[in-house]
Amino acid sequence: MAQIELCNITKKYKKNTALDDISITIKDNEFFVLFGPAGAGKTTLLKIIAGAEFPQEGLVKIDGKIVNHMESKDRNISMVFENYALYPNLTVYDNIASPMRSRLYRKDENDIKTAVNKVTELMKINHLLERKPSQLSNGQRQRVALGRCLVRNPSVFLMDEPLAHLDAKLRHMMRGELKEMQTSINSTTIYVTHDYTEAMSLADRIAVLNKGKIVQLGTAQEMYFTPRNEFVACLFGEPEINIIEAQIYHESEKVYCKAFNQDVFLYPGTDVGKILTGEERSRVDMGIRGTDIEIAFERPGDDWLEGCVYANEPIGNKVIMTLTAAGNKIAITCPNDTKADLDATVYFKINMDKVLFFDSETKEFITRSDMKKYKKGEETDT
Amino acid sequence: MEKKKNNKKIYMALGAVGRNLGLTLFGLFALFPLVWMVLCAFKSDAQMYNTVFRFTPTLDNFYAVLVRTDYFKAFFQNLVVAGGAVIITVIAGVPCAYALARYDFKKKEDVAFQILSFKFAPEIMVILPIFLIFQKIGLYDSYFGLIWVYQLITMPLLIWVVRGYFEDISVEVEQAAQLDGYAWYEVFLKTLLPLIKPGLVASGLLAFIFAWNSFTFPLILSGFKIQTITITALRYISSDTVHYGQVAVASTIAVLPEVIVALFIQKHLVRGLSFGAVKG
Repeated sequence: MAQIELCNITKKYKKNTALDDISITIKDNEFFVLFGPAGAGKTTLLKIIAGAEFPQEGLVKIDGKIVNHMESKDRNISMVFENYALYPNLTVYDNIASPMRSRLYRKDENDIKTAVNKVTELMKINHLLERKPSQLSNGQRQRVALGRCLVRNPSVFLMDEPLAHLDAKLRHMMRGELKEMQTSINSTTIYVTHDYTEAMSLADRIAVLNKGKIVQLGTAQEMYFTPRNEFVACLFGEPEINIIEAQIYHESEKVYCKAFNQDVFLYPGTDVGKILTGEERSRVDMGIRGTDIEIAFERPGDDWLEGCVYANEPIGNKVIMTLTAAGNKIAITCPNDTKADLDATVYFKINMDKVLFFDSETKEFITRSDMKKYKKGEETDT
Repeated sequence: MEKKKNNKKIYMALGAVGRNLGLTLFGLFALFPLVWMVLCAFKSDAQMYNTVFRFTPTLDNFYAVLVRTDYFKAFFQNLVVAGGAVIITVIAGVPCAYALARYDFKKKEDVAFQILSFKFAPEIMVILPIFLIFQKIGLYDSYFGLIWVYQLITMPLLIWVVRGYFEDISVEVEQAAQLDGYAWYEVFLKTLLPLIKPGLVASGLLAFIFAWNSFTFPLILSGFKIQTITITALRYISSDTVHYGQVAVASTIAVLPEVIVALFIQKHLVRGLSFGAVKG
C-alpha cells in the first residue's frame, strides 16, 4: 500500500536517452499498466522504481518519501523480472521461499511452507517444487518468478511482462487471478506489458510510453475511444485501426469527406462537422476500427464504398477481411460465416459516428462524434 | 540386410577396441615420466643408469632425503607460500573479476588484458628488477615477498575464468536477490558464490599448482630462511655427482599434494574450466 510519485525522471545510457522527463503519480492501491512497444523504456522505469537502476535526474517518491538513495532491499517492493531472474542453484521451492528467508522479511519455516504451497497451487506449479529452474519450461519458470513475487506482501508489486511466455489459455486464467488478487489484497501494482488486451482488462489506468516519453495517460476506455494520436490508436485494438486519408469539402453549412478517390460522400456527425468547419483544413486522417465497417457483396446504396478482397482470415469467432481500395489496405471484422473469393469486388460502409479524426500532418487527435460521452471521466482523473 | 547389420556391429566393436587401445597408448605415453620418476626413487645410484627395468629396490634414497636433510621444512614452507598465494588470489581476484564483469569503466578491456599479459611474460624477464627492489625494501627471503610476487602467476587465470562466470549470471538475479531483502554481502555469498563455485575451485587449484611448482621466483628471491621444494631438489646435484635417486624422491613427494587435491576436485575441474555452466 503505497503511492508512488515519479518527478521529472531522466535516465540516460551513455548517449541514449531511455527515459525523458517522466512524471507520473501512481495512486495507492492502483493497478497501473505501462504499455508501449519494445524499447520504449518500460523496464527501465520499473527498475528505477525498484532501485535497481538510478536516474540521472528526477525524484522517486514512495509514500511521499524520497527514495533515490534507498537501497532496493529497504523499499519493500517485490518484482517479477522479464527474464525471470530465478536462482539457478536453488529448487523451485527455495526460489519462492527466498524472500521470506532474508533477514528483513524473515518468517519461520512453517509459515513459509503454507505461503509457498498457497502460491504454487495458485500458479499450478505445486508438482514442480523439487525441480531446478533449468529443468522447467519457460512458462513454468515465469510462473515461479511470479510466485516468488506474490508470496510476500510488499507495498508495491512490479511486474515486467509476467504472462508473456505462458500459453494462451493459462495466460487468460492468470489474468483473471491477478485481477482478483489485486482487488482482494489491496496493493499498488505496476504492470508492464505489450499486449493490449492485458493492459485493457487489468488496468485502472494506463500510461503509453514511446521512446522514453509518456504519450498518453488515462483509462483503457480513453485509450481506445479517444487516443491522443495515431500512434496510440494503432497500439490498441486487433486488427489494427485503419488510418485513411480523406479530403474535406465544405458545402454551405455542411461538411463531407471523400476517400479512396471514390465519389462517395461521407458525412461526419454534426458535432464533428462543426469542429472541422471551424478549422481551415482540406485533409484529415480518419481512424476506423475494423468493427465499425459494414460489408456487402452487392451495393446496397449510394453511400457504400467499393473495394477488392485482398485476404480473408477466419479466426474462429470472426473473420478478418482485408480489402484494398485505392492503394490502401483496410482490415474489417466480419461475422464468422463470411466467405469471399480473393480479388472479388465487395462494398463497405463506414460508420461515421465511430470514426476518429486525426490531423494528417501532426497525427494528433482532433475529435470524434459524441466526445462528451468519452470524456466524462476526465475531470475526476486529472 | 542381415549382413549389413552384422557388419555394422563388427565395426562398432572394432571402434570401441580401437578407441580404448588409443587411449591406453596415450595414457602410457603421458604417465611414463611419472612412472620413471617413481622407479628412479627406488633405485640405488649404482643401478641408476640401467635402461632395463631390472633393479633391486632400495629405500636408501628415501632415508637420505627425508631423514638426513630438512626436506620436511621445505615442504611445509612451500605449502605456506603456495597456500598463502592462493588465498590472497581468491580474496583479491574474485572482487576484481566481478568489477571487470559488471562495471563499465574506461579502458576496462585494456586493464583486463594487462592482467592476462602478466601470464605471457617470462618470469626471468622481470626477476632482476624485482630482486633489486626486494633487497632494498627488505622483502628478500620472506614469506610475504614470495606470496606477493606469486600473484603474478596465480591471479590472471583466476580473474579471467571467474570473470566469465560472473558475465554469465544475469544482473537481474542480483537485483532480484536485493529485492528479496538481502544485503550486498548476502547476495554475494548466497546467490553468486554457489554459481561461480566450479570456476573458482578449478582456477584456484590451477593457481595452487602454478604456485607450488614455481621455480624461478623462489630460486632468486629466497635464500636460506625460506626454501621451497623445487629449490631443495637442486641440492642433490652435488659438485662431483648427481644423485638422481634423491632428486626423484624429492620430486615424487612434491607431486603428492597436487595429485591428491586434483583427485578430490576432479569433477569440478572439467566442468569448471568449460565456460557457461551456470545457464539457468
